[in-house]
Amino acid sequence: MNMHTQPQRTPAETALIDAFGERLSLLPGDGAVMLKRDDAIEAIKHGLPTRRVESWHYTDLRRLLNAVPDFDPAAAVKAIAPIVEGSAVLAVLNGVSSTKVPAVEGVTVQRLSEKLIDGSIAPGLDPYGSDDAIGALNTAFVADGYFVDIADGVELDKPIELQNLQAGGQTHVRLPLRVGAGAKAVIVERQTGDGAALVSSVSQLVLGEGAEVTWLIVQEQPETATHLAQFKAHIGKNAKLTLFVMNAGGKLVRQEIMVKTTGEGADFKLRGINLLAGDTHSDVTMVLDHTVPHTTSTEVIRNVVTGKARGVFQGRINVHQYAQKTNAKMACNTLLLSDDGEFSTKPELEIFADDVVCGHGATVTEIDHDHLFYLMARGIDEKSARGLLVKAFVAEVIEELDDETIVEALEARLDDWFVAHG
Amino acid sequence: MPAVQETIDRVRKIDVDQYKYGFQTEIAMDKAPKGLSEDIIRFISAKKDEPSWMLEWRLEAYRRWLTLDEPTWARVHYAKIDFQDIYFYAAPKSTPGPTSLSDVDPELLKVYEKLGIPLREQEILAGVQKTDASELEEVSDNVYKSGRVAVDAVFDSVSVVTTFKKELAQAGVIFCSISEAIREHPELVKQYLGSVVPTSDNYYATLNSAVFTDGSFVFVPKGVRCPMELSTYFRMNEKNTGQFERTLIIAEEGAYVSYLEGCTAPQRDENQLHAAVVELVALDDAEIKYSTVQNWYPGDAEGKGGIYNFVTKRGDCRGDRSKISWTQVETGSAITWKYPSCILRGDDSSGEFYSIAVSNGYQQVDSGTKMIHLGKNTSSRIISKGIAAGFSQNTYRGQVSAHRKATNARNFTNCDSLLIGDQCGAHTVPYMEAKNSTAQFEHEATTSKISEDQKFYVMQRGIPEEEAIALIVNGFVKDVIQQLPMEFAVEAQKLIGISLEGSVG
Repeated sequence: MNMHTQPQRTPAETALIDAFGERLSLLPGDGAVMLKRDDAIEAIKHGLPTRRVESWHYTDLRRLLNAVPDFDPAAAVKAIAPIVEGSAVLAVLNGVSSTKVPAVEGVTVQRLSEKLIDGSIAPGLDPYGSDDAIGALNTAFVADGYFVDIADGVELDKPIELQNLQAGGQTHVRLPLRVGAGAKAVIVERQTGDGAALVSSVSQLVLGEGAEVTWLIVQEQPETATHLAQFKAHIGKNAKLTLFVMNAGGKLVRQEIMVKTTGEGADFKLRGINLLAGDTHSDVTMVLDHTVPHTTSTEVIRNVVTGKARGVFQGRINVHQYAQKTNAKMACNTLLLSDDGEFSTKPELEIFADDVVCGHGATVTEIDHDHLFYLMARGIDEKSARGLLVKAFVAEVIEELDDETIVEALEARLDDWFVAHG
Repeated sequence: MPAVQETIDRVRKIDVDQYKYGFQTEIAMDKAPKGLSEDIIRFISAKKDEPSWMLEWRLEAYRRWLTLDEPTWARVHYAKIDFQDIYFYAAPKSTPGPTSLSDVDPELLKVYEKLGIPLREQEILAGVQKTDASELEEVSDNVYKSGRVAVDAVFDSVSVVTTFKKELAQAGVIFCSISEAIREHPELVKQYLGSVVPTSDNYYATLNSAVFTDGSFVFVPKGVRCPMELSTYFRMNEKNTGQFERTLIIAEEGAYVSYLEGCTAPQRDENQLHAAVVELVALDDAEIKYSTVQNWYPGDAEGKGGIYNFVTKRGDCRGDRSKISWTQVETGSAITWKYPSCILRGDDSSGEFYSIAVSNGYQQVDSGTKMIHLGKNTSSRIISKGIAAGFSQNTYRGQVSAHRKATNARNFTNCDSLLIGDQCGAHTVPYMEAKNSTAQFEHEATTSKISEDQKFYVMQRGIPEEEAIALIVNGFVKDVIQQLPMEFAVEAQKLIGISLEGSVG
C-alpha cells in the first residue's frame, strides 16, 4: 500500500474536480484543447497553492477559497452601459459570448468558443508555470470569450469595451487580443456582476511593432464574488502599453499581471488603484520581464485599505542578462485607514544585467496629520477632510492618463466607490 | 625560467582566490567520528562535561531535526550536504586551561598572530607595548582603559581562550565560553538559551541546538556598561568539520554591551559547513550592539570549495526602551544564508540593521533582516548595501511587520545594490506587512552600476582602475562602515578592497 497519501482535499478542490467531470462533455474543443484541459485539471488535483508557494505567500488560495458554487446555466444578465460613451461593447454574459458583435473597421472579432472548437487557440492555453493556479483553472474550464484582432495601422477613435458580467455560479472567460504594427487603441475590460460567482478571466495581449495601447481594467465585483484574473502581455519593438487597473470590489480577488518586453524600445506603464473595504481579500501580483536591451517601465500602485480588508501587492521586475540599459521604476503606496485592515507588499528586483537603472519604493502609512490639520484649519470637518485627502491620493494616479474622457469616466467610478464606502 | 615564474605570480595575483587568510595550521586535533547520531551528541555532551538537562535538550533538538527538511526558498544553489560526512566535533588536542594564555598551544597562538587579531592585549589599538598576557591579567586594576578588547577565541569547535576575564568580572560582566557557562552558570543558561531562537526554529538552528560545540556567553548585569568591547574570533581549520557555535548575550536592565565577531577559515577544496546560532536578549533600557566581519573562505576562482554559512541570528528587545543593533560586513563564504533579526517586543524599543554584502567569484549571498514590531512606539532602521561582482549572486531578503497592537511602529529601509560586470546578479526581496493603521513603513531600493563618470573622475587623478573601484565602493558603503567600531572599520574597508580584487577587466 502506498503510505504517501496526498493531504486531504479541501471541499473547494473536490468541488472543482467533480465539476470538471460533470462539465467535460459540455466544454468546447477536443484533441489539442482537451489535452491542455486534462493537464490543467491534473495540476489542480495536486492541490491549490498555499502560502508555502512563494508567489501565493500572502494569498493562501487553498485556505481562502472555501466554497465553489455550481455552474448555473439558467442565470441571466444584461450588458451594461460602457464607461465611455460610444464604445464598441463586446459582452460576455454569464460566461457566454454573443453572436451579434458590433462592426468596427479594421477590427476582427471572433467568439472564443469557435476558436476552442477549431483548436486554433490551443497553443495559448498553457499555464506559465507550476504555480499558475489561475491559468490552470481557466484552461480547464474556459468555455467562451472573444478573440479580437486589430489590423496593422488601424487607429481606433473610440474604445472597445470588453464586458465580463456574471450572474452567479461559475464563469471562465478568456479574452485574447492582437494589436497589429502601428495600430492604436483604447481597451476597457469591465469585470462585474451581481452574483456570488467564481470567476476566472484571462486576458492576453500581443502588441506589434510601434503599436500603442491603453488598457483599463475596471473590477467592481460584488462583495460576495471570487475573482481570479490574469492579464498577460507581450510588448513588441517600440510599442507602448499603458495598463490601468482599478480594483474596487470582490470578496476574494487576485489580479495577476504578467508583462514581457520582447522588442527594443518597448515601454510599459502600470497605474493601479486598489480600493479595499469590508471583510475582503485583494491581491495584485505583477511579474515584469525585461528580456531585451533598451526598454523602460514605470509602475505606480496606490492602495486604500478600510474595514477589515486585507490587501496585497507583489511586484517583481526581472531584468534578464541581455537586457542592458533597462530603466525600471516601481512605487507602491498604501493608506491604511483602519486598525482591522492590513496590507502586505513585496516589491522585488531580480537583476542579471549590470548597465541598468532600477529602483522601487514602498510605503505604508496613515493620513498625514499635517495635511489633515491644514484642511481642518480652513473649517473643513474631519470626515470631509479625510475624504478629500484619500480621494486626492488615488485620483492623482488617474489624472496621469492623458485622455480626458477616460479620466472623467474613471473618476465617476471612483466617486461611486466613495459614496458606497463612505 | 624566471619569465614563466613571473607570469605565474602575476596571474596568481589577479586571481579571485586572493584569500589572505588561506593557510592551514598543523595542530593535533581531537575528533569525534564522522557523521551524526544520538551517540555523537552524547559524545559531545560528555566531552563538555555537561549536566544531563543539557544533553536532553540536545537530544530533543536532534529528534526534531530528523523530522525537518532543508529549506529551499533562498536564492542559493549547492549540492546536497551529506551530514554523515562531517565531523561534528573537532577540538585542538591540547585543550588548554581556559584561563591563561600561556597554556595555549604556541602553534595556535601563531595562527592568531597571522590573523592579526588582538588576542594578545599588546595589540590594543593605541599600540601598547608588548607585555606577557599573564602579566596583564595580574596588573589589571579597576582602571578601564578605553580601546581595549576582550577576546574569546573559538578554534574549529572549541573556545580556546578568553582574555581580560578578571577585569570584566570586577565590573560584574560574565564573558566566557558557552560550555563554561553551562557548567558555571546553569541557571542563566537554562533561563535564556533557546528563548529567542527555540530549538524548533528552523532546520539549521535545530541542527545547531543538537550539536553546538562551543561559542561565547555574555551576561551584563543590571545598570552595567561593559567596560570594553567584547570580541570573538571564529576559525575553522580541520578538514570536513562543521562549526556549530552558539552565542548567547544577555543585557539586563540598563546595561550596555558592544560585541564584535570575526570569522576566517583556511583554504580548502571541500565545502565546510558553518551553522551558528546567536541569541541576544535586551531587557528594559538595555542596549546591545553586535558587529560581524565575516571572511570565511569563499571558494576558488572556479567556485570550488568555500564555506556554507547558514546562520540564525536573532535579538529580542524584550524590555521597554531596549535597543539592538546589528552591523555586518559579509565578504566571505561560498554561500551565505543569514538574516540577523530583531523582535521589538518592548514598548519604545528599537532595532537597527546595517549590512554590507560583497560577493565575487561564484559566491552566493542571500542575506537580510527581519524587524518584527510587536510593542508600541517601536522603530527600526535597515540600511543594506549589496555589491555583486564576477559570477556572484547577491540577494537582499528582508521582512518588516507590524502586528495589530504595535501602534506607531516606524520603519525605514534602504537597500542599494551595485553591479560590477554583466555576469553577476543583484536581487531585492523585501516583505512589508502592516496590520496597524498607525504603522509607518518606508522602503526604497535601487540597483545600478558604478557610473563611468565617477570612475573617470577618480582615474584621471592617476588612480588605477581597481583602486578607483574600491574607492567608489567604499564611498557607497560609507553609511554602514560608520556604524562599525573603529577597530573593525579599518579592517572592513581593506577586506572590501581584497574581496573585489580581480573583478575588473
